[in-house]
Amino acid sequence: MKESLLEILCCPLDKHDLELEDAEYEENEVVSGTLICTECGERYPIEDGIPNLLPPDMREGTPA
Amino acid sequence: MGDLADRRGLETDVYEPAEDSRLLASVAVSRLADARRVLEVGTGSGYVAERMAEETGARVIASDVNPHACVSARERGVEAVRADLVSPFADGAFDAVVFNPPYLPTDPDNEWDDWMERALSGGESGREVIEAFLERVGRVLTSDGRVLLLVSSLAGVSEVVERAGEAGFSAVARADESYPFETLTVVELFY
Repeated sequence: MKESLLEILCCPLDKHDLELEDAEYEENEVVSGTLICTECGERYPIEDGIPNLLPPDMREGTPA
Repeated sequence: MGDLADRRGLETDVYEPAEDSRLLASVAVSRLADARRVLEVGTGSGYVAERMAEETGARVIASDVNPHACVSARERGVEAVRADLVSPFADGAFDAVVFNPPYLPTDPDNEWDDWMERALSGGESGREVIEAFLERVGRVLTSDGRVLLLVSSLAGVSEVVERAGEAGFSAVARADESYPFETLTVVELFY
């Protein structure tokens, strides 16, 4: 993901801003890291350049 | 599920572009020429998002609940976010939101619980995902933002327009096409 995407993302639970931690970059894109809600502290992973912003209760129980 | 589902490639993990995708893409490209930022919800293969990115000046974001769909969209060069409808997007972030929703009416005793069901099934009425979307989408739109929603006669165009009205939207049909199993309509919603 492009780092500028952070401006239009928010925590899916409480809609507060997200902070980027442990970012690894390739060609000006964030390919891995963690997005953390500045309010509730929930953590959302970025894997292979794609942020997973499903609410925690939807991360499991979805078909593979 | 019957012939319609069979016709649509249940063997894959990602909904491939079909007549509905192409109709929505053509309307989106012509209607969103001036948009700056556009979200496609439920992007599937990423086809509609890619067409918008190539044929308008907008920054296009694609989202899907299905991780395989997110990968497919990213491989097409579109920014992808794994998300439940519009839940992780900031208030007023988009000039337009485009959605080809799952809309096949599905018997609850006959759900098949894989990614293709999630891409196709709109619950018993065919409108379950559409209704959740209509309740939430207004938050992420700018004040003059709009929605382009593909609606099948299988889900009921007048019922969808009525629900959109309850959510505060006016509706105009921008295109329709008839097929043996259904009529597809692209509805534009705005405040």
